[in-house]
Amino acid sequence: MTGMAVNRIVPLVAREALGDPYALLTFRHRETAREGRAGQFVMIKAGLSAEPPLRRPFSILSTDPTAETFTLLVKAIGPGSGALCGLEPTALAQCLGPLGRPFTTPPAEEEALLVAGGYGIAPFRLFVEQLLREDRPPRVFYGGRTRADLPLLDRFPPVVAELFPATEDGSLGRRGRVTERVEEWLDSHRVPARLYACGPEAMLQAVARLAEERDLPAEVSLDPWMGCGVGTCLGCVVSIQGAEEERAHYRCACTEGPVFDAARVVWPGESASRAWRAAVSHRPAGAPA
Amino acid sequence: MSLAVEVAGIRFKNPLIAASGTFGYGVEYEGILDLSLLGGIVSKGLYMEPREGCPTPRIAETPSGLLNAIGLQGIGIRAFVRDVLPRLARHDTVLLVNICGDTVEEYAEVARVCEEATGIAGLEVNISCPNVEKGGLAFGGDPRMTYEVVAAVRRATRLPVIPKLSPNVADIAVFARAAEEAGADALSCINTLVGLAIDVETRRPRLAFGTGGLSGPAIRPIAVRMAWQAARAVRIPVMGIGGISSASDALEFLIAGCRAVQIGTANFVDVGVYERILADLGAYLERHRLSGINEVVGTLEYPGLPRLCDSEVYR
Repeated sequence: MTGMAVNRIVPLVAREALGDPYALLTFRHRETAREGRAGQFVMIKAGLSAEPPLRRPFSILSTDPTAETFTLLVKAIGPGSGALCGLEPTALAQCLGPLGRPFTTPPAEEEALLVAGGYGIAPFRLFVEQLLREDRPPRVFYGGRTRADLPLLDRFPPVVAELFPATEDGSLGRRGRVTERVEEWLDSHRVPARLYACGPEAMLQAVARLAEERDLPAEVSLDPWMGCGVGTCLGCVVSIQGAEEERAHYRCACTEGPVFDAARVVWPGESASRAWRAAVSHRPAGAPA
Repeated sequence: MSLAVEVAGIRFKNPLIAASGTFGYGVEYEGILDLSLLGGIVSKGLYMEPREGCPTPRIAETPSGLLNAIGLQGIGIRAFVRDVLPRLARHDTVLLVNICGDTVEEYAEVARVCEEATGIAGLEVNISCPNVEKGGLAFGGDPRMTYEVVAAVRRATRLPVIPKLSPNVADIAVFARAAEEAGADALSCINTLVGLAIDVETRRPRLAFGTGGLSGPAIRPIAVRMAWQAARAVRIPVMGIGGISSASDALEFLIAGCRAVQIGTANFVDVGVYERILADLGAYLERHRLSGINEVVGTLEYPGLPRLCDSEVYR
């Protein structure tokens, strides 16, 4: 974790509708603006009222340290996100951030391949900026079911070396799944690469599988329901198993994630992590775990 | 003007205590919140050994409430004493440990470990968790078992013993009296109410465990009623818990007869809750020309009933 999270009542500075149900919301919050890293999130709730009870986690889309503001990409899908999207400038929100572990910078010899599904694009805007500053232009693979699922597509081309959109219905970019485009790229570029993924769980699992097949490192940003954001409610735990751990343990996505090494995640329907399976297969028969 | 209260022989600088299961082990909030603002902290429930807890999903939001089935995931009492206690000692607040057990003997064993440690002011006995197979509600749902667990903990330690009672019973007064007779020094009322939320698309429970415990503002009137019933049934002090997120919420419990209150779900929603309630409690005392928060306790004017504050126990 980087800087310490700070709780504040913050004003909405700007709202930009991106077409239903997406909006870009900018809030003033000094610590998140200055310290927020790609992959980190804030716990935020519109207004000061009791309903709905819980704050919601949102990836930090971008920051402006000078103006001391940060921006979120919010998709209005329920009472919490809906209330946020309904805020007018100067209206207040309760915000705790920045929280969680960010994406790691890829080692110099590895290409960064960013894989986003739908509004899972949110943490990658900041990551792209960070990688460009380090002169490490990444490849961004951005997919969804249809054109409307790619809300920020037009914001990326000016800053990205290569953008590979894909939709399952072919309404924008190539028809097919985003992971197929990643596979094609890997087939034609036989170079060391690191995958970074954020999006629906099925996509993350597909990225993890692809990373395993190609023996590539991968980092995934998980998005379970969160209660507190600071590791006390234990509501957001995910099943994690390191190479040395005989069994998986529940770990908080809010404090040990939300970015995890994909190889340590025990995915739905699987009984052990890739890290553990790999360690076992390399262990001499009969050796202790 | 004093906000200090005393419960079970323990002095708290103010009546606001973080409820078990909603504040981790306290140290998670270091740096986010000044822990010395709190009257006290009740740790997450601890068994002898670490526990993995329930499968996921574990939480679901409901109207004004939170339904959870965490299942007492925890690091175990020894790791707590070794790794957490020294860090908590840096903060000027009272620590209560919430103790759990699969068996009566395990409760006593955890109590003995706490007895030997430094920095633990008292024990809250968890006989009311609805999300575990053994222990928990199995003990808190039967007055004879309540008596047996509390008596066993009482024998195991000189630390103040504070059973946390379940609302999932017909008459909480029966359980309050059973705990008092077994030697409890105070009571915590209440734990969560058993609830069920259903995903109508999949026709499955929204929580992997199935049912869960409901907390938050949704349960407050029930909690105030049950804490009030418990306070009327026993001579030992009661700590009120259930949906408190404002000074006025806390005052309801105090007026009903509770000596202190615990703040639970509101910790998840707003870490600024303590600062806000403390300021508002002070303003309330000023407005009502009271010199201390204790003057509020048990002052409920209930039709046809004498005020608790006029009974000799409260004097």
